[in-house]
Amino acid sequence: MSFARLGFIAVTLAAASSLASAQAPQDVDHKIPPGYEPEQGPDEKGIWMEVEEYEKTVRQSALLVTDADINNYVDSIVCRVAGAYCQDFRVYAIRNPGFNASMTATGMMQVWTGLLLRTETTDEVAAVIGHEIAHYTRLHTLERLRRLKKNMAAGSILDFGIAVLTGVSAPVATATAMLNALAFSREQESEADFLGARLVAAAGYDPHAAYRVWENVIAEEKAAAVKRREPGIFSQTHPDSEQRAAELRQWINDTWGPPVDGATSRDEHLEMLNGHYLVLMEDQLDTNRFGRTEELLQRHRDMGIEPGLVEYFYGEMYRQRGEADDAALALAAYHKSVDSGTGPPEAHRNIGYLELKAGDAAGAQEHFRKYLELNPDATDRAMIEFYLEEEQ
Amino acid sequence: MRIRRNATLLAVLLVVSGCASISYTLVAPGTVNVGDLQVSAAQSWNKAPAGTTASRKDTQVWTRDGLLLDRLIMIPAVPDGEPVFRTNDKEAALPPFRADMLPNEIEELTESSITKLFGEGEASVETSNLRPQRFGDDRGVLFNMHIKVTDSPDYKGLAGAFIADGKLYLMMYIAADPYYFDKNLAEVETLIAGARRAPAAG
Repeated sequence: MSFARLGFIAVTLAAASSLASAQAPQDVDHKIPPGYEPEQGPDEKGIWMEVEEYEKTVRQSALLVTDADINNYVDSIVCRVAGAYCQDFRVYAIRNPGFNASMTATGMMQVWTGLLLRTETTDEVAAVIGHEIAHYTRLHTLERLRRLKKNMAAGSILDFGIAVLTGVSAPVATATAMLNALAFSREQESEADFLGARLVAAAGYDPHAAYRVWENVIAEEKAAAVKRREPGIFSQTHPDSEQRAAELRQWINDTWGPPVDGATSRDEHLEMLNGHYLVLMEDQLDTNRFGRTEELLQRHRDMGIEPGLVEYFYGEMYRQRGEADDAALALAAYHKSVDSGTGPPEAHRNIGYLELKAGDAAGAQEHFRKYLELNPDATDRAMIEFYLEEEQ
Repeated sequence: MRIRRNATLLAVLLVVSGCASISYTLVAPGTVNVGDLQVSAAQSWNKAPAGTTASRKDTQVWTRDGLLLDRLIMIPAVPDGEPVFRTNDKEAALPPFRADMLPNEIEELTESSITKLFGEGEASVETSNLRPQRFGDDRGVLFNMHIKVTDSPDYKGLAGAFIADGKLYLMMYIAADPYYFDKNLAEVETLIAGARRAPAAG
């Protein structure tokens, strides 16, 4: 399916043994000091070079977010959660509608824009970042790589060493064998959950965000029309998601007490999302996954994202889904968007197209005209003018 | 290990090549039928083996400098309810064509399909300059694409599409930017805009 990259060759792996540890996962601490640089083990030179090469491609990726607002927002959260480790990380925000954050053993962190769309507060973003930082300071990524290496012939590890090191794996169709290879052990996940929660609490964020973010992702997965074996932070690579979320909820409530109303502010997160919502949601819409998009929009509506924007995407979602009654639902949503006074001009255009389809040429004209009036530089002006002239 | 796998790959290729249609063929200048779509090639092209670019039956994929640099994908007569590409991946969620689609919907269908082609999450596709275009007796549209891919050069695209007898005819030229897109653009624009349904036989 993908012609941009060759993808990875799936190799059946011996099941990885979990690591024994005497300490309860709730009590673990960082294994490395700030400024740590991993020592290269024997025969690892090629792999480390590949990681460096990989970072170069990420730095040059066309999907790297260039917007300063988003980068500053993410950078500031990473630094606050990382505390003394702040200088150890290089953070890259990547345009990808999936839910993921990842970290290499060298401290390169990637945060996908889909994660920003699926978090309701800055505290939740911080929780995911705390989880990844904990994997790093507990040396899980390094252990995972070395465990894998031990179980495989030397020649084949390069085929997907990169995926293991980076946590970012091949596209959708990636084989299950590889996802299994990518998985942290259950114990490592628990350690990262608990240490991550402690990191975010120490940084002044609400620790309750740590289980809320997972619960939301589980809810979206349940709403999905087409389930996917998707590489990502809380799917195949993170086993037993519901049980983990429940354990984390229990432990956080025991440790910090029940959640306090108003403990978290949504303002900063809302402002960032409102400013970039059109671009971020366009990428989500292009996935053609309406169950997920609908669940996401419901959450955005509840959390108070600008109604003109949310209703516009409800319109887009219904119109593109095209099931019975969807045209009427889309029309109603676009009108709500327009009536809010904060919807994009495209809401008028798409009302126009829907009315054209329903045979209401006069209604279509009114909205097409309004669209061009609000968006005089529209690149589809010729198309809209064609319909305006045709319907005269 | 590596040597053994390469040997296996070679064996697979040899077996597949026994099925005949593995090689590229030359498309000479002149009128060419792609299913019941007729286009006029001003210069010669290389036609990729059937099945390239997740092709439907009758789809033709042409290239001048190689598929990673440029490709002209011509997809004739997609019936209502079917996607423009073909895949065995049940999780791909390719959007289907609908016979009552308006220009904006064809643009969106193309955008989402191309996203899937490059790999969901691996590419971000933006369309622009949607404009009307006649294809013989059929009314259709042209639009541009800008495709950002995670670990490749940027691609630009030009698409032409029309619906006739409830079926979609879609032509897409996608090429690396800079250089390759511009290199063939004038010729391809004439080819796409000049496409039409082939006169009915008999």
